[in-house]
Amino acid sequence: MASVEIQNVRKAYGDFETIKGVSVDVPDGAFVVLVGPSGCGKSTLLRMIAGLEEITGGTIRIGGRVINDVEPKNRDIAMVFQNYALYPHMTIAENMGFSLRLAKKSKEEIASRVADAARILGLTDYLQRYPKQLSGGQRQRVAMGRAIVRNPKVFLFDEPLSNLDAKLRVQMRAELKDIHARIRTTTVYVTHDQIEAMTMADRIVVMRDGIVEQVGAPLELYDKPANTFVASFIGSPSMNFLSTKVSQDRTSVATENGIKLPLGSEASAAPGTAVIYGIRPEHLTIAASGEGIPVTVTNIEPTGSETFVQGVVDGQKISAQLRERLFIKTGDVLNLTLVPANGHLFDAATGVRL
Amino acid sequence: MTAEIATIHIEPTADELAEGRRLRRRKRLTNLAIDVFLVIVSLLMLLPLVFLVANAFKTPAEMLAWPPTIIPRDPTIANFSAVLGETPLIRWIGNSLAFAVLSTIAIVATSAIAGYVFGKFRFGTMNVLFALFLATAIVPFEVYMIPLYFQAKSLGILNSVWGLLLGYLVMSFGIFLIRQNVIHSIPDELLEAARIDGAGEFWIFLHIVLPLLRGALGALAVLAFFQAWTAFAWPMIVATTRTSYTIEVGLALFQTGFTVDLGRLSAASATVLVPSILLFVILRRNFVQGVASTGLKE
Repeated sequence: MASVEIQNVRKAYGDFETIKGVSVDVPDGAFVVLVGPSGCGKSTLLRMIAGLEEITGGTIRIGGRVINDVEPKNRDIAMVFQNYALYPHMTIAENMGFSLRLAKKSKEEIASRVADAARILGLTDYLQRYPKQLSGGQRQRVAMGRAIVRNPKVFLFDEPLSNLDAKLRVQMRAELKDIHARIRTTTVYVTHDQIEAMTMADRIVVMRDGIVEQVGAPLELYDKPANTFVASFIGSPSMNFLSTKVSQDRTSVATENGIKLPLGSEASAAPGTAVIYGIRPEHLTIAASGEGIPVTVTNIEPTGSETFVQGVVDGQKISAQLRERLFIKTGDVLNLTLVPANGHLFDAATGVRL
Repeated sequence: MTAEIATIHIEPTADELAEGRRLRRRKRLTNLAIDVFLVIVSLLMLLPLVFLVANAFKTPAEMLAWPPTIIPRDPTIANFSAVLGETPLIRWIGNSLAFAVLSTIAIVATSAIAGYVFGKFRFGTMNVLFALFLATAIVPFEVYMIPLYFQAKSLGILNSVWGLLLGYLVMSFGIFLIRQNVIHSIPDELLEAARIDGAGEFWIFLHIVLPLLRGALGALAVLAFFQAWTAFAWPMIVATTRTSYTIEVGLALFQTGFTVDLGRLSAASATVLVPSILLFVILRRNFVQGVASTGLKE
């Protein structure tokens, strides 16, 4: 086990920089998720930790040792790939024991360590099969097993669940979390799925365009997003953003046509400043008639447990996730209200939290 | 409720039954027509071979008889004994076999290595090199056959299997075939996983890449073998002594005199067929199978 320290790491292909100085600390035994839209550099960063991509600038340490120029095989890491990368011509047991065989361990030791890992993952009955005879979820577990068997300092996961169907993904999510709880190996996990990040991580690193937007515990990111990008990326459905101006007494903001949105605390921006007001769809509730924000409904999606309403307020799009069953139709005006403390304010120009 | 559903059974009407019979009959007829067609085509393709083998056992008189017989009335092995006795046919087959086997080994080895390198290590200079390799495929062999002959001559390897091999060590199509296979069926992650697991590059090639290319290499081996086995122009100029001929060159000699000895030519050809057919039967599975499953999520 070991910590991973990434300091001011850069990656450039010629003049084109894909990672522009990233610093992330992964404490010993932590489960850190790198999340971001595709092309944000999260996979490249992971591959740099693995040693599959060269590091253009900065340093990466594993367990205190700088590993910039260390061969992948000498970094004492294990990686699980999106497509599992199982060797098709080897049995499950051979796949899992592959690294031990290369490390010249005895046959007995390989067999016992493979058997241990297989037991943890429920693969004992499949050891003599070939990868193509297994389902997607089982293959995923074999890939996990191959990593566990080595007992490495660090686990690296590159979107390991994105090839599974939705139901299996939820199940594997829980299994991965459970395995981590048991073996407590430092883990860096890459995904584009914010739900995976929220549910599995001790700490989330949100990336965009080669930089880190915010690092924090899942709920910290949800409650206090550092900017509009993190605010919209974390949480589903996405946060609503309304362009507003700060009122004279700074206790509320208002849209262009004067729809007032109260603030939980006094705004730090000067009166009249243009700001972005953010509110999560699940923080909107139905108001008593005549009060609240009048929303003209454009779309209604009942899911049974809740109703997702999309609408327009003062020319701006807004959506709400309501617990009630609503008997309304598009074109109706729905009055919504909110708890002032649940609102977020962002700078209109930079998107930074105020 | 379920019991009720289970007991509901609607009798098909007479019309429906007739319709079903009619469709089944039509399907049977279609299948029959396809079978008949395929049988005719395969007969047409087999017939020359059958006559070749039959002729080998015929007397000169029967060979010219009309209508031709498929099973000789008066089978003789005189043609075979004449061919085997008067010409070093076995020697020629041996030469061809040695030439074809060595050429196959060389082509499979060079194609596997070059194809893998071109497929997986794709940076600037490699692409230029690969383009050059492909370019050599465009140049007809006959163009550089004579310069190559002088090379063989100065190396002092004329009239030997090494001389024959000179033009048949590398096959640009083979490199191309393996490269495409590597790109298509060996994902980068497989190699990366092996590298992280501690495997060296040569180990990866031997234990991961080669087993996954088995199908493609098998197909290539068959192609390479027959390319050498049926080679004519190059052996013709390199092998000039009677004992160094390959079977192709040797067979051609039956026709170069003033007459064509059909009986002996047939007997020689029939003998030559044996190794070809054997090899094809052995490698047929590889040949047809092509690409091995990649074991990844499709």
